[in-house]
Amino acid sequence: MTTETHIDIAELRKKQPRFNAIDSGHRACLGCGQALGARLVGEAVGPDIIVANATGCLEIFTTPWPESAWRVPWMHSLFENAGAIASGIEAAMRAQGKSTKVVAMGGDGSTFDIGFQALSGMLEREHNVLYVCYDNEAYMNTGVQRSSSTPHAAMTNTSPPGKARMGKRHLKKDIVQIIAAHHTPYAATASVAYPSDLRKKIRRAMEIEGPTFIQIHAPCPLGWGHEGHESIEVERLAVQTGLFPLVELERGELTGVMPIRQQVPVTEYLKRQQRFRHLFAKGDSRAAEELEHIQALADHNIEVYGLRGEGVDRFDTEGSDTVHRGGQRWA
Amino acid sequence: MTILTRANFALPGTSLNYHTGTWRVQKPQHAHASAPCHGVCPAGEDAQAYLAALEEGHPEQAWRILVSANPLPATTGRVCHHPCESACNRGQYDQPIAIHLVERWLGDEAIRHNWAYPVERPKADAPRMAVVGAGPAGLANAYHLLRLGYRVDLFDQLPEAGGTLRTALPPYRLPREVLDAEVQRLLACGIDFHPNKKLGRDLDLDQMRLDYQAVFVAPGLQQGKEWSIDGVVPSDLHSGLDMLRDWISLGVVPKVRSAAVIGGGNTAVDLARILKRAGAAEVHLITHQSLPGDGHPLDVMSAIPREIAQAEEEGVTIHANRGVRRLILRGERVVGIEMVRMKKIDRGAGRPERVAFEGTETVLHVDQIIPAIGQALDADGMHALLGRAAHFHADTWGVSPLEGVFVGGDAREKSGGSVTAAVGDGRRAALAMHRHARGEANPEKEPMAQIIGIESLNLHYYEHAPRPDEPMLPAEQRRGDEEIELGISAEAVRGEAHRCLSCGNCLACDNCWTLCPDSAVLKTREFASDGSHYVFDYDYCKGCGLCAHECPCGYIQMAEDL
Repeated sequence: MTTETHIDIAELRKKQPRFNAIDSGHRACLGCGQALGARLVGEAVGPDIIVANATGCLEIFTTPWPESAWRVPWMHSLFENAGAIASGIEAAMRAQGKSTKVVAMGGDGSTFDIGFQALSGMLEREHNVLYVCYDNEAYMNTGVQRSSSTPHAAMTNTSPPGKARMGKRHLKKDIVQIIAAHHTPYAATASVAYPSDLRKKIRRAMEIEGPTFIQIHAPCPLGWGHEGHESIEVERLAVQTGLFPLVELERGELTGVMPIRQQVPVTEYLKRQQRFRHLFAKGDSRAAEELEHIQALADHNIEVYGLRGEGVDRFDTEGSDTVHRGGQRWA
Repeated sequence: MTILTRANFALPGTSLNYHTGTWRVQKPQHAHASAPCHGVCPAGEDAQAYLAALEEGHPEQAWRILVSANPLPATTGRVCHHPCESACNRGQYDQPIAIHLVERWLGDEAIRHNWAYPVERPKADAPRMAVVGAGPAGLANAYHLLRLGYRVDLFDQLPEAGGTLRTALPPYRLPREVLDAEVQRLLACGIDFHPNKKLGRDLDLDQMRLDYQAVFVAPGLQQGKEWSIDGVVPSDLHSGLDMLRDWISLGVVPKVRSAAVIGGGNTAVDLARILKRAGAAEVHLITHQSLPGDGHPLDVMSAIPREIAQAEEEGVTIHANRGVRRLILRGERVVGIEMVRMKKIDRGAGRPERVAFEGTETVLHVDQIIPAIGQALDADGMHALLGRAAHFHADTWGVSPLEGVFVGGDAREKSGGSVTAAVGDGRRAALAMHRHARGEANPEKEPMAQIIGIESLNLHYYEHAPRPDEPMLPAEQRRGDEEIELGISAEAVRGEAHRCLSCGNCLACDNCWTLCPDSAVLKTREFASDGSHYVFDYDYCKGCGLCAHECPCGYIQMAEDL
C-alpha cells in the first residue's frame, strides 16, 4: 500500500543525522567495500579533519576532475608519500595552534608497499595523525596486481595460478604487527562488515594524541570476484573464519580482540570468490593442500590472538552487528 | 571555471552533479510482505504489527491494532490454539514468539485501563443490521458492523452474551470475570443486545430480512451428536456436552467412580478434566485419533495440545488410536468396554483409511461411558437457510443462498471450528454485509500481501533469545475453577516484542542506511509513506543490491530497472 508523496530528496540529504565526509556521486564500483569503509570512517571522525589521500581507488573514484565527493579539506599527492604529506599538514596545524586532526588514507598498495617508508617515518616522528589503510588485498585500481597484502594462494593478474604455483606464493604481510612494533599508541584492525566496531575503533584512535593506525578490511567485488550485493556477507566470513582477525594493539601489546563465537571453515569464505576458484579444481592435489594451508593460517590467527570466544558475547562475531528496532547500534 | 566556496566542498564541482543512478540495471524497492503469523491467523490479526507498536513502547496503540481485527483478545489469548506460533518464522530459528501470551496481556491491560475500543457510536439514522447469536462470531460481527457505521441489534437465546465461550469453556481456561469484562466492554460500544430471543421462536428470519439491511446468523453448534455402538446405548447415557454445560453453569456433574470419555476434541478433554475435578478416581479418554506430533497429520486429536498435556498432568489417562468395539453390559448398565487399536494408514486407496488391528482388543472396566464426539446444529427457524444440510454452506465471506443473509461461526461448514475462526467469520461477514448494503461485489479472497518465509530473512542480524516460560498452577492445586495458565509479566511481553523478527516489514534498524556504499539510502521519519523510515535516492543508487541482501526482514526487493 504505497501512496505517492512528494519528497525533496536534496533537502532530505542535507538533514541526515550523520556526517558524510564523502557524498554520493562518487564513481566506486557496485558494492564497493572501500567506499563504505571511507563513509563509516567519515561518520566517526567528524568534520574537523584534513585528509591526506594516497593514490589509489579512493582517490580516483572520489575526485574525477572537476568534481569532488569530499566534504572535508582533502589533499592528494602521490602513491608513496601520504605519510609524509600528513606529517607536513600536521606540523603546519601545530605551528598555527589548530586542533584539526589530520587523517591519512591509503590502500594496501600505498600502505604495505609503496608508501611504507613514509608511513614508518610518520610513526617514528610521532606525528598526531590517524592513518587509515583500506585493505582490499591487491592493486585493484590498476587492474588487480598482487601486493604484499594479497593473501596466500589468491589469484591476481601478477600471481596467476598455473603449473608452477597456485596463485600467490608468499604470505600476506602482517602490517598491523609491523606498525605496532613502532611502539605506536594504538593500532587496530576493523572490518566493514562490523560498522559499530569500526566506528568505535576510529573514535578511540581520534582521541589519542600521537600516531594511530587502523587497517580496514574492505571487499572488492571486482578484484575478489564476487557479486556486489555479497560484499558484506563475504567480508563477514573473512572475520568469522579467522583469516582476518579483528584486534587492537597498544604500544605493541594486544589489548582487545573480537571473539569468534562460531568458527566457520575457510572454504566457506574462499568458495564465494573467483580469486580462489583454482583451489576448488577437481583432482588437483595441490588445491586440497592449499585449502589445508589456508585453514591452518586461520587456525594460527585464532590461536596467537586468542580469538576463540567463550560462549555468547555481545561484542563477538555474532553479537556485534545485531540490529534493533529504531536502529540503536552500540557505536 | 570551478568556484570554490568557503564551506566544505567545491559547490559547482561536487560529485552530487554526477548521477550514478544512470548505471543501474536493477533497483531496490520496499516490499511489504505478510508475516506468517498474520497470514495464518483465523481472526486476521496482524501480530507483527502490534508487536512492533509494543516494542516502540505504545501498548495502547498495539491493542488498537489488535482489536482492529479481533475485539476479544483477552479471551482468544487464553483459548486459541494459536496457529500463529506454529507458523512463526522464529520457530525455525530458536523458539516462536509467545504471541498468544502477548495477545492475552494486551487484552487484560485494555480491561484494566479501560482503553476505549476504536469505535464511534453510530448515527441515530444509520442503517440497521441484525446479528443472531452472541458468541464470538456474532460479537465480532456486531463490533465490525459498528465500526463500519451501522446500528446493530444483537440477539441471543440465552440471557447473557458470550455463546459457546460462556456455555462450553470451563472457567479454568477462561475465567468468567475476564469474559464478562470483555463482553460488557464490547456491548457498551453501542451494540443493542436483546437476550432470550431465539430464531424460530421469537424471531423470524423472513421478517428480519425485511426489517434490516442484512442479517448475520451464527448460532453455533448447540447439540451433542448422537452416539451408539452398533445401536446399543447404555440406559444412563449422558451427553458429554450437556455434562460440560452443567458443570460450567451449575457446578455439578453426576458422581462417577470411573469413566471413559469418547472423543478427541476440546469438549472431550475438558469433560475428562472436569470429571477428575468432580472426584472421579479414574478418567479415561478414548479417541481413535493420534496424540499431537504422532501419527497421520490429518488424524490428530483436534483438542489444543497444551490442554491435552494439562489433562494428562491432572491424571486423565489418554488412550489414543483406540476405538470402542463393544460395550460390556450387566443388564442395561455399563461395566466396561472393549477397545481395539486403530490407525489411519495409507493403503493405496487414494486417501488414508482407518484400520482396526485384530488381536489388540483390551477390556477397560468403567462404570460410566460418556460420548463427546462433536456437536450438531440446532436447525430451528433455519430450514430455509439449511435445506437438508447439517451445516451452513457458505464461502469465507459468509454469503448464504438467501439474499441479505450471511452466516458464520462453528455452524459454517468450513469455518475451522475455533473461537478465533468464528471471530474471523464475523469480521469478514461484516465487510461482506457492508458491501451488500452498498451494492458492491465481494472479492474472491481477502486481499493479503504474500507471506514471507524464513529464507527471505537475513538471520545473521538477530541474536538467539529464549521464549519465556509461562507460570502454571501446579496440577495438585487444580481443583475447581482456578485459572491454570497465569500469563507473563509486562517485562516478558516487551521481551517478546523485542524478539519479533519483523518478517516482511521494516524494522527501522538502519542497516540499509548504514551499509549503502553510495549513501543512496536516506533516513526520514516524516516522508517515508510506506511504513519504513528510509527512502532510496535513485539519482545515486547504483543498484548493487547490498541493502536488499543485508535487510534482516526481507523488506527490500530488487526489481529490474533497465
